Amino acid sequence: MVGLSLGEKHFIQGGIAQDIRSDGRKRLTYRPINVETGVIPQANGSARIRMGATDVISTVKAELGKPISLQPDKGKVSIYVDCSPTAAPMFEGRGGEELSTELSVALQRSLLGGKSGAGAGIDLSSLVVVEGKICWDLYIDCLVVCSDGNLLDALGAAIKAALSNTGIPRVQVAAGASGDEQPEVDISDEEFLQFDTSDIPVIVTLTKVGRHYIVDATTEEESQMSSAISISVNRKGHICGLTKRGGAGLDPSIVLDMISVAKHVSEQLMNKLDSEIAAAEAGEDES
Amino acid sequence: MREIELSLNQTQKIRLKRALEKLESSSSKANSNSNASVSISDSIPVNHEDGVLKGHGTLDLNGELVATLCGVVERVNKLVYVRALRARYKPEVGDIVVGRVSEVAQKRWRLDIHYSQDAVLMLSSMNLPDGIQRRRTALDELNMRSIFEENDVICAEVRGIQHDGLHLQARSQKYGKLERGQLLTVPPYLVRRRKQHFHHLEQYGVDLILGCNGFIWVGEHVEAKDDMVEDQVSKPEQQKSNKNSISLEEQEQTYTPIETRQNICRIANAVRVLSILGFNITIEVIMDTMNLSSSLNLDIHEMLGSEFCVLVAEGEAERRSLTKRKG
Repeated sequence: MVGLSLGEKHFIQGGIAQDIRSDGRKRLTYRPINVETGVIPQANGSARIRMGATDVISTVKAELGKPISLQPDKGKVSIYVDCSPTAAPMFEGRGGEELSTELSVALQRSLLGGKSGAGAGIDLSSLVVVEGKICWDLYIDCLVVCSDGNLLDALGAAIKAALSNTGIPRVQVAAGASGDEQPEVDISDEEFLQFDTSDIPVIVTLTKVGRHYIVDATTEEESQMSSAISISVNRKGHICGLTKRGGAGLDPSIVLDMISVAKHVSEQLMNKLDSEIAAAEAGEDES
Repeated sequence: MREIELSLNQTQKIRLKRALEKLESSSSKANSNSNASVSISDSIPVNHEDGVLKGHGTLDLNGELVATLCGVVERVNKLVYVRALRARYKPEVGDIVVGRVSEVAQKRWRLDIHYSQDAVLMLSSMNLPDGIQRRRTALDELNMRSIFEENDVICAEVRGIQHDGLHLQARSQKYGKLERGQLLTVPPYLVRRRKQHFHHLEQYGVDLILGCNGFIWVGEHVEAKDDMVEDQVSKPEQQKSNKNSISLEEQEQTYTPIETRQNICRIANAVRVLSILGFNITIEVIMDTMNLSSSLNLDIHEMLGSEFCVLVAEGEAERRSLTKRKG
């Protein structure tokens, strides 16, 4: 990305301090969100989210696998993010790897809950077919097509949209398998089970610039940040995850303040996202 | 035409489609003369007896001249070429451009102006801050960073293409560093060359510079100072005091006033809307768009929503059909 001159930096900081950002938004206003679902036909579920120039695609692929022995009653979910070199020249070669890993880890933390599986947005026990033997493995792959800041929020929203677009085939287990034998399964081509996505949190990133913090920062604004906190909040207003980026430290009281602001913002974002996803699904059915 | 990327509901889609069709029909009638636009494989009418020089974007196919690009057919004497629309900026002498310094080099600055190569602004082809006409010394060369640094946004004029690239010049007070504002980038074909590219919108206290290269500067108005008259001793001191103001409180006092900032953002969003819709960007259309938004009492950030875009498209269709009837 190109650098900014001193004058422009000053202008951006001033805008944030005066509550009118460069595109006229207030500090806590999101850019318009555009959702498309079912963009990848081969996947079980997919969605594309655009917020301004930021453009991400997320897909869900379900495969039958074996649960790990420590948690026989739970399925497995893995999240990977890939930064496409079309998004920025610096992602070429291995350049995007660092950011990809950072985003994947942040998403896993925000959506999958702790090690025990508590607080997970996705109910892992719903993925089990036969306890201890067969479960669904969900591979969530995200692609950053164009990057104009606030990638984490967009990716989180894309995963939520992709999961609500996902249909998992119904599985018939042949009776009679006993003991250690792997039971035979019959995967239905017609019947699909929908996910319950109402518990999946949204991610709100608050970027601190100067003394104030903003949501949905563009790349220009992110270049001026001192630190950023990403907070994932579910519909009930519970915090599901928290990650901090950026070098500067934050006072605990500011963090608490940011969390309460994020809770408030997440409500609006959640409602907006839900209606957009519903509209996208409806549009897909029509066409 | 590239599809306009907006999230529209059904009625908005139909309205936008209707407005664009209206625009298309009015423009196709106007363009039926020799200055025709072509798409790939369209044949270009030429008089073979006069002799024809095939230029960029043309191909001889079975004795017929066909276009290999989408664009506008240009003719210079015998030469026939196609000027592609969605391409990088192609400079012409005298164009006013806005660029960003990418490198400070020996006696010159290199600027990114969205051309296929970097433009060059020589130290000798710009007025020095003290305004004295003299040979540039080695000391001046060492102090180049005090004039422009990397990443600074600069306004200059295209001087011409020389053996070592595209040269710019900035021999007037109106050119130079741009501060306190924002730079927007739009496709270069949306900005036509006109008599006036510097606009001082007095009622808003805003400077608007429409660079021919598609870089548009919207910023707070700065008086073009005549440095020659100014007391030269006071200048370095002023700079020093500027640099010392690091504390946040002092910085806040120097921020752009809030009304001016609102106007800057409104104008910038008007430009963004026009660029999304692919309309030519002129000062009149920008002002119309801005007035439309204020008369509708829209918040500044709502201007980028789909409803306003549709309204602007309809307004533009209406305006063009009116001007055509007059003419």
